[in-house]
Amino acid sequence: MYKLFLCLRYLYKRRIVFFAVGAVCLCVMMVLIVISVMGGFLNMVKDRSRGMLGDLIVESTTLQGFPFYEEFIARLKAEMPDEIHEATPVIITFGTLRFPRNGMTKPVQVVGIDLEETYRVNDFKEGLFYEKYYPGTTHFERQQEPYLGLTKDGQIALPPELEAARRRWEANASPQEIADAWRDQRLLLEVEADDLPKELNRGRIPAGLKRAFENRLFQLPDKVEVAVAKKGKKWLLRHAYGVNTIQRDGDKLKVYYSAYTGPGYFAEPESPLSREGPGWQGRPLPGVILGTDLCAERLRTGGYARYCRRGEMVALAVIPFNPKGGFQEGTGFLTMPLRYVDDCRTGVYDIDSMSVYVSFEQLQDIVNMTAFVPDDRDLDELASEPEGAAATRPSGPAVPARTTQVQIKLKPTVDTRDKVMAARNRVQAIWERVSSEGLAALRDAPNVLDRIEGPVSWVKVQTWEEKQARYIGAVEKEKYLVTILFAVISVVAVFLVGVIFYMIVQQKTRDIGIIKSVGATSLGVAGIFLSYGAAVGVVGGAFGTALGTVFVWYINEIQDLLVWISPSAQVWNPEVYAFDRIPSEVNPSDAIGIYIAAILASVAGALIAAWKASKVWPVEALRYE
Amino acid sequence: MSDVILQATGLHKSYQLGKVSLKVLKGVSLTLQRGEFVAIMGASGSGKSTLLHLLGALDIPDAGTVRFEGRDIFAGGSRARDRLRNATFGFVFQFYHLLPELTVLENTLLPCMVGNSVWSWFSRRHALRRQATEMLERMGLKERLRHRPNELSGGERQRVAIARALANRPRVLLADEPTGNLDAATGREILSVLKSLNEEGQTIVMVTHDPLVAASAHRIVSLVDGRIAARQEAPKAP
Ligand SMILES: Nc1ncnc2c1ncn2[C@@H]1O[C@H](COP(=O)(O)OP(=O)(O)OP(=O)(O)O)[C@@H](O)[C@H]1O
Ligand SMILES: [Mg+2]
Repeated sequence: MYKLFLCLRYLYKRRIVFFAVGAVCLCVMMVLIVISVMGGFLNMVKDRSRGMLGDLIVESTTLQGFPFYEEFIARLKAEMPDEIHEATPVIITFGTLRFPRNGMTKPVQVVGIDLEETYRVNDFKEGLFYEKYYPGTTHFERQQEPYLGLTKDGQIALPPELEAARRRWEANASPQEIADAWRDQRLLLEVEADDLPKELNRGRIPAGLKRAFENRLFQLPDKVEVAVAKKGKKWLLRHAYGVNTIQRDGDKLKVYYSAYTGPGYFAEPESPLSREGPGWQGRPLPGVILGTDLCAERLRTGGYARYCRRGEMVALAVIPFNPKGGFQEGTGFLTMPLRYVDDCRTGVYDIDSMSVYVSFEQLQDIVNMTAFVPDDRDLDELASEPEGAAATRPSGPAVPARTTQVQIKLKPTVDTRDKVMAARNRVQAIWERVSSEGLAALRDAPNVLDRIEGPVSWVKVQTWEEKQARYIGAVEKEKYLVTILFAVISVVAVFLVGVIFYMIVQQKTRDIGIIKSVGATSLGVAGIFLSYGAAVGVVGGAFGTALGTVFVWYINEIQDLLVWISPSAQVWNPEVYAFDRIPSEVNPSDAIGIYIAAILASVAGALIAAWKASKVWPVEALRYE
Repeated sequence: MSDVILQATGLHKSYQLGKVSLKVLKGVSLTLQRGEFVAIMGASGSGKSTLLHLLGALDIPDAGTVRFEGRDIFAGGSRARDRLRNATFGFVFQFYHLLPELTVLENTLLPCMVGNSVWSWFSRRHALRRQATEMLERMGLKERLRHRPNELSGGERQRVAIARALANRPRVLLADEPTGNLDAATGREILSVLKSLNEEGQTIVMVTHDPLVAASAHRIVSLVDGRIAARQEAPKAP
């Protein structure tokens, strides 16, 4: 009984114990935060890798790709119907992207995909912006650029197709989602009366007003054209694509903004005063999806400011290679004008700032990966051929169409690692069969074989984990390393507990003697200090776990606060870390494990002191006052 | 007054001081009757405290035995001695030796807490607390139950120490100069408490320097040169 009693009594009587509690608390917090952030980071890396790649990847890391993919996919679907959910070919090459409006050119990775199939293979669709708010409007077909205009009742609107799509989204969205998207529909800005330009009727938007919109989902147009009308105490700014109401409140003017009310950035007609309706403009061009960081600026708040309007024309240039890896004769970069129809955010900065997604067929065509009959006749032979288009075409077996990747999504039933590996091995076997059969069929066409034997042999079948193994492995190792490092630092807390308890035993030798003189056993006295140590661990660990958990939950807000105090405090640089938010989830089993370790460590820290206390010889301790 | 409660025979105790061995007790034998009040006297450093500690199982002799009701108290190992100290012997020290963090009542209850497990404590705590309170009331400390030792005078502290020593109703009360640190009047007070306890049947062994104090005992035992020097009957009969 006395153990419990004295233990409690001492715990709050000895101030110094709070240092021990504090040290344990801090160490627990530190280790928990490190494990949570690193573990969260690891999980995000894994999730994103899988989300981007599908489950299995059959690829040739070369630029000329590999043939027989169509038979291969057909065979996969036929032979593994229980395992394969979808398989889709993907071409990956490189190129440059130019924004004609401002002349900016960027190097890009060009990804040719089949949109519908890709939606089924990976998480691509979840990253799309316009497809979310205007469902069904993102496609690679030829299309024009939508522009805003005035409806008959004076509302600013998009063309009816887009308005209808937006309403479809609205119908399925939660009120919160709508509120989030519509958050900035009407914004109030207070401007000192003097600040308001006199020539408000026609002119640029006041700088202060523009700044207020910088971080918003919606873009403020460069120019504002207004017709001012006075109605009671209000000025009404009609037909403006920016400001539409100015209200006097005391000596301040309140400016209301309500341009186009949906998400996104769209073109406006030449003159807003023209009372023209919304519509489509420009020549029809195929669509292109850009990585979000290519066409928008990531804001510190986590949002994006898009600087490319939907439907705006961009120019993509790529280089075609022949199957042997050489340049196609007479060609260099081939340029194609496209319309920016959407942007995709995978969350990995390296991908989002580099990738351009176009239609698989279009890319295959332009980089010469479609089937063709090789022409090995030299110029003399050609010259001797009779005139005429048909006659100049070479004849014989064709080099099959090529792709650089096949991404495979497995059925949810393939859920264990072993099953995934088994599926991978079957896919591998099918590929080997398909390719050897394909090569065998072309046995009599040495000029074709010569062109595809190499590419066929470079194909690898990998799981998403294997493909990302080097990266994931590195992050995994980093997690363990940092955790061990911080656990070692936490040993300091054990020492602190030990020293503090040793001090207490030293100071309390006489009291220990008294307790023993009334019959307490050595073990019992040791028990006081061990349970005392455990209590320090329980209390310190509980505070540490609670504080650490709260810290991890609000880690992004804490960083925002730091950034707000001093912009240089941005510890988590989204451009470096690939993810824009710091992982902020605590794994309960981690938390419990750390808590138990903290209690054990505190007990261990109290061990020497307890041993010393048990060794106190009461006669010695009581000899003096 | 015939039954023997405590019997020490041939107690030897020496302390090692570097290479020199200091022989403090050189064969002390002492018999204590039930209900007796014995005073141990002797010069400073003669080994009175040492003897008392041996009698109360607080220390271990080099040679010799102490029998409590016929049983050797050093036979059972440290656990047995712990139990004896808790329930059979009650110690009162010259320097009170109270725990400063605990209140008067809690100090008094300390032996009860040590002697009971958590569960038996919780089932008996009201009875034990009442008993301790009665004891303290008897010591004239009714108003001081919630006070801390440092808020008390020396005499009051010593009375708390006596109450603590009696908390588990020990068979033998061992007091080491209980009045040594007190003025004459307070010392007399403490002494009268001990006397009245003895009158109720409490066996008491008291170490003292003071012949006046020793005079209250039935019997005075003198320690000289590590041995019992003489046997004196108390001047007054009980
Ligand atoms: N732990 C020890 N180590 C060394 N010597 C000790 C120890 N305990 C006691 N002594 C010595 O033993 C002798 C007897 O000590 P003890 O305390 O029993 O004397 P005492 O008769 O009680 O004296 P006093 O009247 O001053 O209290 C003293 O000389 C003392 O120095
Ligand atoms: Mg002494």
